[in-house]
Amino acid sequence: MSALSLAHEPVTGIRHGKLGMWIFLASEVMFFSGFFTAFIILRNANLSVFAHGATELNWPLAALNTVNLIVSSLTMAMSILSLENGDKGKFQLYLGITFLCACGFLVIKYIEYTTKFSHGIYPGTSSFFGLYFTMTGFHAIHVIGGMIPIGWMLAKSFTKRGYADSGRVEILGLYWHFVDLVWIFLFPVLYLIF
Amino acid sequence: MAAGHSAGEMQKAYIKIFSALMVFTLLTIVAAKFIHFPESWGSLSTVLHVTIGLLIAVAKAWMVVYVFMHIKFDNPYIRVFIYVPLFLFAVLVFALTVLGGPTL
Repeated sequence: MSALSLAHEPVTGIRHGKLGMWIFLASEVMFFSGFFTAFIILRNANLSVFAHGATELNWPLAALNTVNLIVSSLTMAMSILSLENGDKGKFQLYLGITFLCACGFLVIKYIEYTTKFSHGIYPGTSSFFGLYFTMTGFHAIHVIGGMIPIGWMLAKSFTKRGYADSGRVEILGLYWHFVDLVWIFLFPVLYLIF
Repeated sequence: MAAGHSAGEMQKAYIKIFSALMVFTLLTIVAAKFIHFPESWGSLSTVLHVTIGLLIAVAKAWMVVYVFMHIKFDNPYIRVFIYVPLFLFAVLVFALTVLGGPTL
């Protein structure tokens, strides 16, 4: 069996890892679909509760987080490009910025959550806040899940052997862009439109 | 790298999409927070805000998927993994809202 057929799915010619990530992302779409559907149903049944809940949220901080994730998506894409071109320095720079943006996102989320808790707002306060904490909480877990391999690849790139597998970084990039994608919908749905 | 595209072309495409995403984020905020429809429009103004916000979000999502996730440049088979869950999501929302889901 040739090396190509081992690394790639024979019918589509797509790399196995990439195909696996796309299948995983398809399941992730369905995972978050459940939350968005629950949000639509509960919102339509409790319009005033949801409208009041949304006014309690800090949309400028969420907007800052949106910028954070968009910048991180750009730097992730640029890091893949840099690695493919063999520019190790730029790869480290862009991936490092991506990691820092992820850290910034979590710090802002921490500020948001602690402010809510200090105001006596918890997931059990109302159906709106139940969904708010669940949806943003799961999203934050996904951010942490992305930071682990980003940090690992970044750390490995500083070793003697370095990191040269651009295919794996591309697969990680798909996941990272998906994290950005989910936030693109969470931001207006939770913070802006009610 | 995407077949048939130079690094310079890809970089230009990324910067363009990044700029568009920033502009669209600003538009989302302006549309939701600073554009007020007449009170006499009642619930229509909420519907308009929701529609505008979601349309911008869909446009932003498509830009991310199309360029950052390489759908524009990659193997067309991959599109199946976008269309199928999106179709299932639409069915889920339609079934539970329009056709009548759980009574709350």
